[in-house]
This record gives sequence, structure tokens and C-alpha cells, in this order.
Amino acid sequence: MTASDTLPLQRFTIVEVNDRNVPLCLRLATSLAGKIAADLGATVLKIEPPGGDPVRRAAPLLPQGESALFQFLNTSKRSLVLDLAGSAGREALAKLLDTADAALFEEPASVAELVRGGKATPIEIAAFPVEMNAAHRPVSEFTILALGGLLHMVGEPERKPLRLGGHQASYAAGLTAFTGLTAALAARDGGHKAPAVRVSLAEVMQWVNWKAASGADASGTSPGREGKASEFQIVACKDGHVAVVYTATQWPQTRDLIADPRLKDPKFNTRAGRRQHVAEIYAILTPWFADKTRDEIGKTAQAKGVPFGPIFSPAELLDTEQYVTRGFLAKLGDYRLPQLPVQWNGRSFAPRPAPELGA
Amino acid sequence: MSGNRPLSGVRVLDFGLLTAGANTSAMLADLGADVIKIESGAYLDPFRVVGKPDDNDNWWNRSPQFRFTNRNKRGLALNLKDKDGQRVIRELAQRCDVVVENFRRGVLDRAGLGYNDLKAINPRIVFAAISSQGDTGPERMNVSFGSTLDATSGIAALTGYEGEEPRISGMDVNYPDQIVSLFATGMVITAVMEARRTGQGCFLDFSQREVASFTLGEEILAASADPAYRPARRGNRQDGVAQQDTYKCQDGRWIAVTLAAADPALESFCASHDSEAAVATLLAKGIAAARCNDGVDLLRDPTLAGVTLVRDDKGGLVKGLPYRLDGQGISIEHAAPDLGQHTEQVLRELLNYDDAALKRLADAGVTSTTPNVGEV
Repeated sequence: MTASDTLPLQRFTIVEVNDRNVPLCLRLATSLAGKIAADLGATVLKIEPPGGDPVRRAAPLLPQGESALFQFLNTSKRSLVLDLAGSAGREALAKLLDTADAALFEEPASVAELVRGGKATPIEIAAFPVEMNAAHRPVSEFTILALGGLLHMVGEPERKPLRLGGHQASYAAGLTAFTGLTAALAARDGGHKAPAVRVSLAEVMQWVNWKAASGADASGTSPGREGKASEFQIVACKDGHVAVVYTATQWPQTRDLIADPRLKDPKFNTRAGRRQHVAEIYAILTPWFADKTRDEIGKTAQAKGVPFGPIFSPAELLDTEQYVTRGFLAKLGDYRLPQLPVQWNGRSFAPRPAPELGA
Repeated sequence: MSGNRPLSGVRVLDFGLLTAGANTSAMLADLGADVIKIESGAYLDPFRVVGKPDDNDNWWNRSPQFRFTNRNKRGLALNLKDKDGQRVIRELAQRCDVVVENFRRGVLDRAGLGYNDLKAINPRIVFAAISSQGDTGPERMNVSFGSTLDATSGIAALTGYEGEEPRISGMDVNYPDQIVSLFATGMVITAVMEARRTGQGCFLDFSQREVASFTLGEEILAASADPAYRPARRGNRQDGVAQQDTYKCQDGRWIAVTLAAADPALESFCASHDSEAAVATLLAKGIAAARCNDGVDLLRDPTLAGVTLVRDDKGGLVKGLPYRLDGQGISIEHAAPDLGQHTEQVLRELLNYDDAALKRLADAGVTSTTPNVGEV
């Protein structure tokens, strides 16, 4: 930024249309894309149905009863209530679309055709690829993870496939919609016709999970959840757990870190050998962790260039020295939340509180 | 390449490696940017090595993982540690709009190719530095690899079977590495717009760990408001959802089901039906259900794949787009480059190097088309 009081997207106006009866997983993606643009200075007008976005009531809740999910996803926006079931609401929306640069909306929305035909560049969030012709198929974030192959990758091979924590399908799609939005704005800015953007959660998850397709294409067999057969496992330590992670080239440092002579056995020298004897490796590694804290393990491993990962809970991240030093967690009233994960010439983008309904 | 795509006219100097960096540049290429990828004989993109199918001749040009991520780029091999290599890169940087890099912090600074060096010769440059922990703070020099960040970001703490230990996405997903480019690309585009408007570039400092923690924003916010808030690992269950899990069907396949009202009979229903029939029945009742696909399923179903997988001009399977623009995916104009494939072409085209100048660089080992180290 050239001046401290300007924000990079502040000359753009974006309408975020939240219609009634849209699957929550799409709503989260749309909201995240709009939030990022708003934190970067765009005027983001969030259209809510009478009674408000249902995310206003979604868990987790803050002590006063507001939704932490809503607060996180709607920072720096403005809110406008429109009843899009009525003609007055639709006319008001059409007018807003005439002057906005872009409009974020969801495929099953009753106003989808209206938004696609407006002057604002449409950024559409859907559940499925166009080819599936499934605009109204029942969907959840969880079934998207199944379709995209992510569930198949996590857990023990003989047990249930597991989801990743958080709203990963919706949020990865929200990040994608943000990038699509900026591409559209850049085209408009450069005097080109902006492309209409369509993001489906299923395609984003498949794209994220490309190693499954790449692996299956190369070998005919899909990679999948390996659990206790994996080279990367979770080990208990004195005050929690640590993810044991190292690349093939980091094995010598890893072996030296643990410093157990049994690891010098030549059968562990190749990756194939280590995979074959993975249970034996972990039988040797595990006791090393038992009397050390996550902090000690993280620091000792990093000193040797070994990327072990101490496991932290969201609450513990609030006190993480790295996050505190970088100012990653912004104050929002009495609370704190992550800012956009980027610094621009050393500056962060402090979010403003999410709007009250219609404010 | 047509001249009216969103990033037509934007040129990217790409030092990106593996997924986080190299895929950010790939997404810029997808939008019309001219991406020139810099490697060297002394330092290959590690994907050329970890994905190599064998040790036979030309192994460094045959990694499927490298091919997946670097299509539609031109490839140069210039030695970053050599003074002449550094000089050539500085000359290239004067003709570029964006730098993308995910080296360990300090590597480019030591080569005289850091942001301050390049800004001095090209004030418009947008410099995207992607690292494990960001460019500042006590952990800035930390190394990580994919699932390290599942652990340190908070995602692993919320992933796992009910009441059991945490879980990571693992080396065949490395989830935190996959999502960075989805955000970083949009930030680079934002900064390019601002550079066009003001004539000033900027330094964009991305911490991959922060990107992963950002996806848990509501959990961190809730924890800050209530010290007693301790979300537990609950398998596939989710707040606000009556019943949600994976169920094994008669054909041995797992399906994922999300129910608005609990149904204790669901497990036995699934166990007595094939997965396809079970999913169809549930969908017809208005219940969200899907089979747990694996990589082979994804390859078999082009309808589901949408625009996410494409074939390059050599027939190789490569990464497509995570979104579509005007309904379209991308066409692959050229396959991922062989090491140093376009060094001469680009130096002639952008810097007017002649045969003699190119020969001097090749003779001095500044440029190359073969690795001069075995492992990286």
C-alpha cells in the first residue's frame, strides 16, 4: 500500500447474496470469500434474508450467544436485509448489481439467474461440477469430502474413513472463490471483459487431493489411509502429542536426533526399508518422546533440521510465541481471532467486527 | 496465448518449489501470466526427485508430481550461487511483475536476489514469499513438510476417532501445502492490481502455518472468548448435525451420510445394501450421501472430475483448475518443462542474448540441462 490509510481493494464494491434455503456448506464458502475481500478494503454488502443468515445461529457460540462462526466469516462487511422472495427485494438486488463490480452467490439460490445476468461479474459457488447436473442434490460438507476422496485418506485402513477438523471443504472453496474474484476484478481493471467464475466444492476438494489421482494414474492403485503403516505417525509425549514427519533426505538427521544405535541398522537406510519395517522404527522412536514436552521436542528437532510437528489445540495457539510476535491474532472487542494470513510490506489487515443484521 | 485473459501481460519469475510455491505460479499461469520457472542444475525442484519413477537416464524430467504442478510454465536452469547466474536473474527480474518463492528464509537474500535487491532495480515488483512460519518471528527459520503444519496449526487436534489421539492428513495429502496457493494467488493478483495503479510493488509474506490456522478461525475465536472451550475429537460428528458418519456397505465400500434427524437404523441399512444403491436411496429421500471415493474412482469419473484433471500434449495427466472461468477449464499449451528447456529461448527473447553470450553461460556451468547433484 502506498499510504497507511488505504486498502488494496477499497475501490471495489461486491454484493454477497445470501438467499434462503441454501446449503450451509455453500454459505460458508461464499461468506469466507466475501470476508477476505472485505478485510482487504472492498465494500462488501451482505444481503441477508429476513431473520438473517442462518450462520448467525451456528456453532461454536460465544458466551453471549453470538456465533463465533458468523463473527469470523463476516468481518468488515455491511449487512442489508432483502426479502428476495418478493419483487421489491429482487428489484433492489438488481439495482445493487448494476453498480457493483462483482457478486458472490450460490447456485441453488432462487435469484441465481438474476445474478448471472447482472452487470456485476458473477462469482458462483456450487456443490458439484456442472457436468453432474446436480444443482439441487442434497449435500453436506462431509459428503463433499467423501466425493473428493479426502475421507479415504485419513484414518486407519481397517476402520472408518475420517474427516479433517474444521470446515475444510467450505473454506478451501472460499479461498478459491476469493482468488477467482480477484481474477475477475483484475480483468475489469485491465479493461477486459471479466470471466464469470464458478467454484464447486467437489472440484476444489478433488483438486486439493490431486496426489490421490496422480498416484492412482502412476501405479493403478490409489493411495489411501495408512494409519499405523504410515511413515508419518502421531506419538505421545509428556504433555501431548507430536506428529513425526521427515522427508527421505531428512532421515539421517532424524536418526541422529533420536540417537538410538538400533536405528543404524542398514535395513532402515532406504525409504523402502523404512516402510517395510515401520512398526520396528516406531517401537524404537516412541520412548524418546515419552519424557519430553512438545516444546522441547519441537526445538530439539528444529535444531537438527527435522520437521516434527508438536500438536497444538486452537486454545493453545492463542499463546504461541510465533503468532504473538507476528501479531497474527487480531483483537476483536475482548476476543481475538486470526487475521488474513498475509503481511503486506509488514502490515496486517485488521478486521472490523461483523455487522448486526441490517447494519 | 490470447491477450485478454485476466493476467495477460503479467510475467512471473517463479522460484516456487513443490506445491506451495510452484502451484501459486501455476495458478497465475492458468489466468494468462507468462511464468518462467527458475531452477538450477545444483538445485532442482524437489518434486523432480521425490516423484522420480526410476534412476534411468533423464529421470529428472519424468516425475508425475512435477508434471502435475508445472504445466504451462517455461523452465530455465540458472545457478543461483554463481555471480553470473545472479546477474542474469536480476536482468530477468527487471522484466517481470511478480516473484514467487518458497525457499527457506534468507536463501534469496544471500544470493542478492531478495525483495530489497529486486525492488531497487524494479520498484513495481510484487514479491510473494511463502514459508513455513512467515518471514519474521522466532520460528522464521523452522522447517516443515506438509503434515508438520497439520500438527502445529490446530487441524490435527480436531481430527481423529472419538476420544483417541490426533490425526494428520499424511504424506499422500499434505493438506496444509495444498491450500496455500488458493489464497496466495488471490493476494498476488490483488497486489498486481495495486502495482498497476500506483507503480509500487510490495512484499507479501505468507506463513503456511497461519493459512492452515486461518481455516480454524471460529475455533480460535471461540477459544479466546471462553478458556473452558475445548473442542474434542469426535470422529465424523459435527456441531449442529444430528447424525453424521461413514458406514460400510454390503459391497465393502464406505459411504458418507449426513442426517438432519438421527436414524439408528442407518448402519444396518447400509450393511445390507451395495454402496451405489444405498447412496441413491438416501439421496432420493433428501439425505446428503456420497461414496468415499479413492484416487481410482476420481480418475474413472470425468463428470466428477470436472475441470480438475487435464491431459498435456504428451498425454500425461496434470492438474487442471479448481474453478472454471466462463464455464471453461484450461488447455495445456505446453507440458511441464524439462530442466533448462527454455533457458536459451527466454534469454534471447527477454534479454537479447546472442549465441556467444549463451555459450559463455553454458561453458561456465551457469546454465544447464542436467542435474549436477544426485539428491536434493
